[in-house]
Amino acid sequence: MGKRKSSKPPPKTQRPKLDIAFNCPFCNSNKSVTATLDYDAGVGSVVCNTCNERFSAKIHKLSEAVDVYSEWIDACEAENTL
Amino acid sequence: MEGVEVAEDAEITQEDAWTVITSFFNAKGLVRQQLDSFNEFVNSQMQEIVDESGQLVIKPESQHLPGQEAELEQREIHISFNQIYLSKPTMTEADGETSGMFPNEARLRNLTYAAPLYVDITKRVITRAPDAAEDEQQDELEEYPKVFIGEIPVMLRSSFCSLFEHTDKELTDLGECPYDQGGYFVVNGSEKVLIAQERMANNHVYVFRKSQPSKYSFVCECRSVIEGSTRNTSSMAIRMLSRTAGRSGGQVMRATIPYIRSDVPILVVFRALGFVADRDILEHIVYDFGDTEMMEALRPSIEEALPINSQEVALDYIGKRGSSIGVPKDKRIQYAREILQRELLPHVAIGEYCETKKAYFYGYMIHRVLLVALGRREQDDRDHYANKRLDLGGPLLASLFRQLFRKLVKDVRSYVQKCVDRGREINLTAAVNKDTLTRGLRYSIATGNWGMQGTAGLRAGVSQVLNRLTYASTLSHLRRISSPIGREGKLAKPRQLHNSQWGMICPAETPEGQACGLVKNLALMSYISVGCASAPVLEFLEEWATENLEEIAASATKIFVNGVWVGVHRDPAMLVRTLRQMRRQVDINTEVGVVHDIRLQELRLYTDFGRCCRPLFIVERQALRIKKSHIQALQGVEGTTEKLEWHDLVYRGFIEYVDTEEEETTMIAMELRDLKAAAQEGARGSAPLYTHCEIHPSMILGVCASIIPFPDHNQSPRNTYQSAMGKQAMGMYVTNYQTRMDTQAYVLYYPQKPLVTTRAMEYLHFRELPAGQNTIVAIACYSGYNQEDSLMMNQSSIDRGFFRSMFFRSYRAEEKKQGSLVQEVIERPDREVTVAMRHGTYDKLDDDGIAPPGTRVSGDDVIIGKTSPLAEEAPGTAQRFTKKDVSTSLRNSESGMVDQVMVSTNAEGQRFVKLRVRSIRIPQVGDKFASRHGQKGTIGITYTQEDMPFTAEGITPDLIINPHAIPSRMTIGHLVEALMSKVAALMGKEGDATPFTDVTVDNISAALHKCGYQSRGWEVMYSGHTGRQLHAQIFLNPTYYQRLKHMVDDKIHSRGRGPVQILTRQPVEGRARDGGLRFGEMERDCIISHGTAAFLKERLFDQSDAYRVHVCDACGLFAVANLKKNQFYCPACKNTTGVVQVFMPYACKLLFQELMAMAIAPRIQF
Repeated sequence: MGKRKSSKPPPKTQRPKLDIAFNCPFCNSNKSVTATLDYDAGVGSVVCNTCNERFSAKIHKLSEAVDVYSEWIDACEAENTL
Repeated sequence: MEGVEVAEDAEITQEDAWTVITSFFNAKGLVRQQLDSFNEFVNSQMQEIVDESGQLVIKPESQHLPGQEAELEQREIHISFNQIYLSKPTMTEADGETSGMFPNEARLRNLTYAAPLYVDITKRVITRAPDAAEDEQQDELEEYPKVFIGEIPVMLRSSFCSLFEHTDKELTDLGECPYDQGGYFVVNGSEKVLIAQERMANNHVYVFRKSQPSKYSFVCECRSVIEGSTRNTSSMAIRMLSRTAGRSGGQVMRATIPYIRSDVPILVVFRALGFVADRDILEHIVYDFGDTEMMEALRPSIEEALPINSQEVALDYIGKRGSSIGVPKDKRIQYAREILQRELLPHVAIGEYCETKKAYFYGYMIHRVLLVALGRREQDDRDHYANKRLDLGGPLLASLFRQLFRKLVKDVRSYVQKCVDRGREINLTAAVNKDTLTRGLRYSIATGNWGMQGTAGLRAGVSQVLNRLTYASTLSHLRRISSPIGREGKLAKPRQLHNSQWGMICPAETPEGQACGLVKNLALMSYISVGCASAPVLEFLEEWATENLEEIAASATKIFVNGVWVGVHRDPAMLVRTLRQMRRQVDINTEVGVVHDIRLQELRLYTDFGRCCRPLFIVERQALRIKKSHIQALQGVEGTTEKLEWHDLVYRGFIEYVDTEEEETTMIAMELRDLKAAAQEGARGSAPLYTHCEIHPSMILGVCASIIPFPDHNQSPRNTYQSAMGKQAMGMYVTNYQTRMDTQAYVLYYPQKPLVTTRAMEYLHFRELPAGQNTIVAIACYSGYNQEDSLMMNQSSIDRGFFRSMFFRSYRAEEKKQGSLVQEVIERPDREVTVAMRHGTYDKLDDDGIAPPGTRVSGDDVIIGKTSPLAEEAPGTAQRFTKKDVSTSLRNSESGMVDQVMVSTNAEGQRFVKLRVRSIRIPQVGDKFASRHGQKGTIGITYTQEDMPFTAEGITPDLIINPHAIPSRMTIGHLVEALMSKVAALMGKEGDATPFTDVTVDNISAALHKCGYQSRGWEVMYSGHTGRQLHAQIFLNPTYYQRLKHMVDDKIHSRGRGPVQILTRQPVEGRARDGGLRFGEMERDCIISHGTAAFLKERLFDQSDAYRVHVCDACGLFAVANLKKNQFYCPACKNTTGVVQVFMPYACKLLFQELMAMAIAPRIQF
């Protein structure tokens, strides 16, 4: 005897997670920048998968991909305002 | 007069407590929460919402028109909404005539009982020449006084109702029932109640332990809302990671901040708020630096945040995790700053320079997590009633009004903008859309969908049609509470009775089944706070040497007002004493909650709305503050100097309202004698130190449970069953039932007040509007026609009018108008020119097309004749029919007599008819009856008096119930009621069956024995059939019985053949449509297991939707058949031979065709 399809409540909208892929400040391509974080060495680097532009910065144990990326953006900003 | 002189300061007795209770109900009535909340909405909330809208500033959008000079002057238009005025309820007829309205008219004519709302609007036009100086400007001020902005439905008997403060005589003259309590609305002629909605309290800090395997071990939440604001709740949380989830092994804590996408270490927030040094931060969390255990618990969190060592870095850290990614640093910092200012704990403060306050509150939250984590305190209880708030009619309407008024303002703005841009004259009266408010409020109250039509987050079922089955059911409906937790939720906790609900919510009255425990009812004396300003309390605290947050020391007590930490105090006991004293003198509002949590070192004050409170006697030095003299003054005994009323008792500090949270800090004596005992024992010091005393413990019950005699002698679910059944009992639901036109109404012929009553029934007007009769009941098997909860009833009693009742059903019809051509007419349809005439008789109709009062009607008789004109076909052609019949006929299974006809006009000025049909219902086999103890049954047989057993006195029972109904159900109250009823009948007095009193069965038995009867209510009886003495003595006593609305005549149904659904050709459903009886899945399973396939086919196919189709043998699809010409053709393969005949359910044929329509070929192959 087939069970009637029960109407499940719609799934809860989850809090947006922190991004791990970003837009490239050089080639402007979407979500192409990914980060690799080496906590032991204290260095994090971001690479654009499209244009291969890269940037590295010092990180600490609380750092995440956004931190390195944001630093890159700041560095670009500094370069541009000069 | 007894003439007993009592000392002025004598202690009161339990009887005197009833005088106090009487004064409570005299002053408050039974639906005070509804009325108070509505009055508060109209008196203050509405104006506040209008004031919130502030000033509209409209500047012309500069438009560039080629070839035209730029505008020379600058104009600015300021519009503000000021004072509002609500008039008395009025009605505007279709011809424009306006007059005052009374609710009865609204009910009868299907109008909305609403009052017009006016607002003063001012318009300021500021004009400035382009090159003029700053102060050189032209300023035109225009006032629009009392602009009509819409109609607000008015709650009956509120202070804005036209029935307010009328005497009973006047009310009767106005067609109202003087016992009606109001508290509901009349929208489109139907009475609507707003059901109180339960929710979690805002601005509370809750700490919960998370069960493993969760990522977190403890979570601390705070849903923050600014008092009286429309902003959404902004919740934040602090989570302690479980040991396994932490990276470094220690239990670090993280904070969840609104709009920040990942949790941040707790110290980062402090640093972002400007507290950088570890010591500064710790000061906000650990108030005693000697508390090494707590310091140690914080260590992992401190170490974790080491890399973030300045405010700027912290703000940047937070900003980077916000919603916009890839923005420059200064923007990020700015963003983080704004989030912390506006979105983090907005109830504490919003704006700049509030960092200290926020940091302290934030630190307090961490402190609370640590307390639970260190095992010093239990986690919070979600179901504790102190953590709940009730949104009544007022707040519900306020939220709706706010949405609608905002829309109205928005529309005004866009209208004015349009006028300005196009250079037209601005007419503010035309700018205001009157329908926004009128329609919006009416829509929500009429449908129960709370919120603006078409918007998301609509809550359904907030407004319900007021139950008018019996007076108690009406009262109970007006005091209902609903919690919007999903009915299908499996969690039992929210449904269970919680200790903290004592005295606030009825422990018995809740529905069975899916809504059990989620729908509740208020206890008789509970009061819901309407909310008062917190400013006076804050001022008071300021005066009474409350120190700033910075002064916090380990010994100081924290003070919270509505969840906001406002300061600390060194001598909380003194402060609490003063606060309570002031509240008792009404220097601060009586409904302010004062909670002194000694263990937590907190003083929490509440002024918000929706808290459950209840009145209690104040106890000082182990004695009540109220004395005998005050009771006498309350009773207005001669010789007393003054007449006291309920509110005097509150103002003089004899009684105070205590809310659920404050109740936790009190010591309440259950009865006066407990207090006396404590006072006597007082010297030895082992007695509890009482602070309050219950007024009477029976006040914990709600409306329906208060009708049960001796509920304290019953098994508890039986009281729940009776609470549900009391709502279906017939009686006298209002005194004006003859002037009302309710769609359905049941009225008992000879309702009686019960022989045995409870004290609370007096306030429920059960004597005046009873729902039942005193019945002589024998508990015996007799012939056995009362097995399995059936009853034997005395036919001779029935013939004398026992439990006879009336049933009214009203039908309505109105002449609808569609466009300018189609106008319906109420008339006697003419068979010559009318198409689609009903098959019932039209003979009962009078010349006006309505069956006149006194006409006997039955079956499908047409009772209101109405026609609608048919559209003319091609011009010139002679048309047989010019009208279509749209008459109303009686329900096919009912019959009766036309009782009353009302002819009027509706709001559109169209003819409007309501017709009431009356039928008499005499008890018969199958009708349902119940005692007041959850003992229900249907009549199994009726015996005439001769066949009934009789006693030596010649008494025969009206009803015989089966003794097997008693032992397993344990309704001892039923038996005690019976016993006491006998005493009451013999002594000619009413018996008192109030719960929690000193009455015992032995007392009653002794009294019965004194009357000359067997003390346990037994009687020697003789068989009515044989005349022989029955072997056993029979328990034969009067008991109050109720007739329930379920009667066989409304249920009896059978069908051989009849109507089928158009789509599937299966029999229709339901008695009203003469539908079939469903042969369901389980029945089908039975037949399968019996293996009787032919019978199964007959039920499911031959007797349902058997059909014959023709199928092409070649392709297996349906073929076209012309049986008359014996021609067959397959449209798919153009084949005219090889077509076979197939029998299948019509539903199956339909499915195949639907599949074909979806381009699927269901081929039938042989």
